[in-house]
Amino acid sequence: MHATASNAATAPAHTGASRTSTDSRNDLIFGWVLKACALLVLLSLIGAAGSTLWLGQDAFRTFGWGFLTSAAWDPSNDQYGALVPIMGTVGTAMIALVVAVPISFGIALFLTEIAPQWLRGPVASAIELLAGIPSIIYGMWGLFIFAPFVAEHIKPWLMNNFSAEPPDGQVSWLVQHVPWIAKFFSSEYPFFGAGVLTAGLVLAVMIIPFISSVMREVFQTVPTRLKESAYALGSSTWEVVWDIVVPYTRTAVIGGVFLGLGRALGETMAVAFVLGNTFKFSWSFLETGSSIASTIANQFGEAQGLQRSALMALAFLLFVVTFIVLLIARLMLRRLATKEGN
Amino acid sequence: MSASLYTTRRIKNVIAMVLSVIATGLGLFFLAWILWETLSQGASALKPQLFTKITAYREEGGLANAMIGSLILNFLGILIATPIGVAAGTWLAEYSRRSRLGPTIRFLNDILLSAPSIVLGLFVYTIVVLPSKYLSNGNVTFSGLAGGVALALIALPVIVRTTDEMLRLVPGTLREAALSLGVPQWKLTTQILIRSARSGIVTGVLLALARISGETAPLLFTAFGNTFTSLNPLTPMASLPQIIYEYTKDPSPDINTIAWAGAFVLTMFVLALSLIARFAFRSKVSHD
Amino acid sequence: MTNMNEVASRPGFGASPHASGVDLGQVPAKMTARDVNFYYGDFHALKNIAMDVPEKQVTAIIGPSGCGKSTLLRIFNRIYAIYPNLRATGEIILDGENILDPKYSLNRLRSKVGMVFQKPVPFPMTIFENVAYGIRHHEKLSRSEMENRVEQALRGAALWDEVKDKLKQSALGLSGGQQQRLCIARGIALKPEVLLLDEPTSALDPIATSRIEQLVEELKRDFTIVIVTHNMQQAARCSDMTAFMYMGELIEFDRTEKIFTKPDKKQTEDYITGRFG
Repeated sequence: MHATASNAATAPAHTGASRTSTDSRNDLIFGWVLKACALLVLLSLIGAAGSTLWLGQDAFRTFGWGFLTSAAWDPSNDQYGALVPIMGTVGTAMIALVVAVPISFGIALFLTEIAPQWLRGPVASAIELLAGIPSIIYGMWGLFIFAPFVAEHIKPWLMNNFSAEPPDGQVSWLVQHVPWIAKFFSSEYPFFGAGVLTAGLVLAVMIIPFISSVMREVFQTVPTRLKESAYALGSSTWEVVWDIVVPYTRTAVIGGVFLGLGRALGETMAVAFVLGNTFKFSWSFLETGSSIASTIANQFGEAQGLQRSALMALAFLLFVVTFIVLLIARLMLRRLATKEGN
Repeated sequence: MSASLYTTRRIKNVIAMVLSVIATGLGLFFLAWILWETLSQGASALKPQLFTKITAYREEGGLANAMIGSLILNFLGILIATPIGVAAGTWLAEYSRRSRLGPTIRFLNDILLSAPSIVLGLFVYTIVVLPSKYLSNGNVTFSGLAGGVALALIALPVIVRTTDEMLRLVPGTLREAALSLGVPQWKLTTQILIRSARSGIVTGVLLALARISGETAPLLFTAFGNTFTSLNPLTPMASLPQIIYEYTKDPSPDINTIAWAGAFVLTMFVLALSLIARFAFRSKVSHD
Repeated sequence: MTNMNEVASRPGFGASPHASGVDLGQVPAKMTARDVNFYYGDFHALKNIAMDVPEKQVTAIIGPSGCGKSTLLRIFNRIYAIYPNLRATGEIILDGENILDPKYSLNRLRSKVGMVFQKPVPFPMTIFENVAYGIRHHEKLSRSEMENRVEQALRGAALWDEVKDKLKQSALGLSGGQQQRLCIARGIALKPEVLLLDEPTSALDPIATSRIEQLVEELKRDFTIVIVTHNMQQAARCSDMTAFMYMGELIEFDRTEKIFTKPDKKQTEDYITGRFG
């Protein structure tokens, strides 16, 4: 055979064989190097949890379960309880979700069902631009622009209507008849814009692009024929969305919400300026407070000994909670991915 | 009866549509508000000395050391994260098919993507900053290197994910064609697959760069900050977001103004990066 | 469907020592499949395939979609092995060695058995690099030797005249037919012994198709060719031997003119005359 003969002349058989064994050895090494890099992802997560737990163990040992339930955060007496930062973290995240979820749903609905084709791309890009703005900018905007706005417009209105000590002096009908509601709307400094509500609203603005873009993607996975058959029965847009799109995508939509929640819980800079960083326990949305992340950001630099350990313990708690929230989010989103695959 | 039912349905629909438009309007309104404040307050605070003087001079100074520090930190972050991230993403896309570990790591990578950056900063503090005391007479030293590692940890999942996704978009026939020539897997991967997915991977790196450029929290306890210009990654380093953080907290309005100028520069940089990334990606899509 | 009994009782079902039992005349067998079974996970895709591929002839494999013709082709160079959960049993003898033996080096196999795919798959490189890429992996050649080899391969694939002035341009700029001939050039540049063509013209227009068919005719001077096609006229036009497959079984394998004029099996006749498939 002509071809083989010339082939054999240029490349003797034994070179070919050794080349083959070099190749398979290289392949093996290459595969292991890649795998080692992939394992770094796993290691960083374990490392983040492990290192914070390790350095936080003093605080966990000293305070036991009381660390979670004590509202005392008192560096001068070396007493640390995580209740206020936990409440602040959960409170701001909840406010953020309550505000951001319906707005994100509306945006996703607009971008998938209502807006004319030519408008969808630009609006979606603009909303995603919002996600690209660094969180420190949200923090600045929150402190210099939004907090004064809240102090001037939102907070007085809320206090006039819902607090027991309204600035206008007239206790509202609602508070007279449902006095417990005032507990959530008291404020030590009525003219001060910072507080749990303000921080929650800044977070809401921050997570809207995340949630809305997940919802939009999720809505787009609904098969067109499904929607078309509903429209063919005379359904209105809203009915198609509520009866077809939402049930079809429910799990993934909740996944998107949890993704936003994970972001909100772990966010530092957007809330660091507008929470007030106080450690007095309160039920009120209008009171200042602190979150886990903002406490770490503000205090870790100067902290020593038990305080540093307590901050690490806080970080551990934050990491575990966000990990669980994000785990749920991803599991719910993954089910969509498999549904898509079928 | 049926006419009233029809009316109710129509009213419901109109209300839903109107609310949806309002929601979109609100989202766009906040975007415009934040951008407008950053641009207007920042632009009016811009002056040449921001780029030439350092923060040590406070009101009389600028942000030069912070900008240089940011560039170095971002560069370090990307330098560390890119090879590791591309390798890990390649493993996920090309090598993990027969392994249960693959889906698990892909899943965990998505979690790392949204993990609280401040905790990742503390992790790097623990593994890079704290051990530094064994190298320098028992003094714990913050360093640009630690900041770079922290940023790399944030960039990593972004790069892993885009690499993985982009490689999985490469048609399987390309793999078959190369393998049927007897090309070994590692050559196929480095010379053909990564090359076909190149623009997508570059997009991922740009997105990662945009993401870490704005990160503040993980730098506070790693790069720490420096009022002077530092080019040595083993010393503390200032960065733009960290200076903005300090200057925003500052009681002096003049210092706050410099913070706005910094915010302007930072926002412009980040938005430009994400626009470039988008553009690069679009050209990739039309190319196929 | 009434012929299922016949399928089960056809000669070669089970381990037949003389493989397909077809007389190849004076032509020796280049590749011999014996008792080949193939599984996609639990799905039994190929059942007891036995056939001889004659040397320096064109063997066509035809059959309706999903009959396993491409699957069989993909066993000949073990390209299936890059996917998990696929498994082949039995033997395929190439030059006296069983290529299904896990010890048989894939690199060696693939330098001996080249493959061209349904859709043209140029690599994202220049035209020259596309052809040189595979060679570079198997042999160390000087610049001029390499240029020679690339030219030879491109001439062999009847592409040289069209691309000789733009060897440094991206291969992605070629037309579909040119890309497919480039892929053939890439395959023959390695000087393989067997060339597998998996529906090489199904993505091409009629003019490009006829060029490829002419090329196949020329290539059989140097190579043993196995071509999978859904196009019966193509099999009739350019093959010496034809195998008809149906539902994972090799129903009939014989000289092409016999298959297309007086096939032994009713199923083959039904397929050839268009009564099903």
